[in-house]
Amino acid sequence: MNLLLDLKIPKINDYMSSALIEKIYVSEGAELTSGSKILDFSIDLSSAFSQNCPPISYYRIVAREKVQVRQLLKAAGEYGVLDEPIALFSHDAAEPLGEVVARALRVMTAGIVHHEEMWSGR
Amino acid sequence: MTGIAPLALGPLEARGFSINRSGIQWLVPDGYVCRANEVVGYCNISVEPASGFRPARTPFADERELQVAFAPRVAGRIRFDSQSSVGGYLDNLGVQPWNATTVIAHLETDEDLEPQTPQKDRPLRLLMLAGRRMTGLADVLTGLLPGWHSRARGWWSDEGAPSQTLLNLGICDALGPVRGDRSAFLELFESLDEGHVVVVPNHPLAPCAPCLLEQFQRSASEVQAIKANITEVVLNGPVEATADDWMFVGALLGALDQSPLRASFDLLTPEGLCKSRRPSSVLLSLNAEGPSILRHKTLGYRLHVLRVYQQAAGPAVRAWMASAFEPVKRTIDTIQEDYRQLIDGAGQDGHVQFLILNRMSTSGREDISTYAPFDAPMGDTLANVASKELNLMLHDLSRERDVAIIDVDAIAAEFGGGYHIPDGVHQSGAMQAEVRAEIVRAMSRGAA
Repeated sequence: MNLLLDLKIPKINDYMSSALIEKIYVSEGAELTSGSKILDFSIDLSSAFSQNCPPISYYRIVAREKVQVRQLLKAAGEYGVLDEPIALFSHDAAEPLGEVVARALRVMTAGIVHHEEMWSGR
Repeated sequence: MTGIAPLALGPLEARGFSINRSGIQWLVPDGYVCRANEVVGYCNISVEPASGFRPARTPFADERELQVAFAPRVAGRIRFDSQSSVGGYLDNLGVQPWNATTVIAHLETDEDLEPQTPQKDRPLRLLMLAGRRMTGLADVLTGLLPGWHSRARGWWSDEGAPSQTLLNLGICDALGPVRGDRSAFLELFESLDEGHVVVVPNHPLAPCAPCLLEQFQRSASEVQAIKANITEVVLNGPVEATADDWMFVGALLGALDQSPLRASFDLLTPEGLCKSRRPSSVLLSLNAEGPSILRHKTLGYRLHVLRVYQQAAGPAVRAWMASAFEPVKRTIDTIQEDYRQLIDGAGQDGHVQFLILNRMSTSGREDISTYAPFDAPMGDTLANVASKELNLMLHDLSRERDVAIIDVDAIAAEFGGGYHIPDGVHQSGAMQAEVRAEIVRAMSRGAA
């Protein structure tokens, strides 16, 4: 049974079109459990143009199931558009990566405080 | 239609000075049906010593933007006088003497204009607008309060001095509701019978409580020490200063050198020039209280600059901020104590009411099913937990000091935060209107 899972840029609010990957906590091959931090990202509603006080907010995605990280498609500092895959996961390490994605990884999303380890905190 | 009211400029008095004005710049089309107290046009004015008069000081000397906006007292259809505007520079420069009897438009209205009422005798209200330019180079001539200001303010010029002054020291969440869509207080004054409103922007110095208190208490010798230190950094520091550095330092020195809480203000009224009282109310944003601010390693003063404005500085200033300052972490207790000291310090010379906008503390898109993955204290990581804890702190503060909470959190929940305040700070127009109404209500309660 194909059980390749993906993680996409989630729609956090109605105005967003993209997100900046601020920090990735996992590496390819890593085993995740429910509660593992996967990544932090930010949304700037002023899009690519900085304005006087950019409406930026920060979020963290945390795994809600036990999986292995198979492939990271984005790195910290890169932008992803809405619904664009960021990473692939599977329960079985031998799952072929070329298969069709069966479903989205189960995650939870939390608003977080900006911190110095973020890409924009450098 | 009940009547036609000629809209004359009405009286403005400044004994010993001449008041000149530009042509009228209309903000609405001829024939527009306006609401009562809706600003429909404006002109620029100047106040200059009359011939032969040598005053000890010239009022509004540091406020190069001085404008009068016009609002009919009652609703109706406005018809412009054909001579009211002449266009070009003559609608920008003060080329005509202010004449109270000059009629600039007529108002067709359905309302009864009873004799010997303001509606009949003085149907045009004057909203005075004044802006202190950050630099004399920022001489943008067109528009309402145009250019880059270190302070902007407005007041209804109906009779004598306004009874109350609101000093807005907030950031974006407080700035938008007060300055409104045209950035000239128009919506606020449409709902404010009288009063004087002052806004000091948050660039480059973010208005957090410890910085405001130090501005309020800083001595002349401390200002000199800061100036000497910054000048040395820009002139002889390890990183060559660019134009951005000089601009940033100029704005920063201006902010560090002045306390808006101590300021008094010139006012122009139909009865003459006068000075305003010190601020009776101060509006702050809880969002301005950063969890970490900077403290100068040798001079000890504190500095908080929003990250977006740090980026506006040049390389020399950024290097200086990184090396000459140390970060100071602030707990909720620290922030509460900073508020106490600011409120008590500002209140030493007379009572001041503080209005503080709290923080949006929920998000409909957040789906935390368990807090187990997040380390305690969760307020250090989770934005909404931090906001709830800070909001609770404000409630504690309001029990011991005269603090009115402007409950942005409740308003956002009522309106729907995802649509009306998507990033938790910047509000929609509808939500700004509600926040504005809450500010006006709090001012009224404070005045009572």
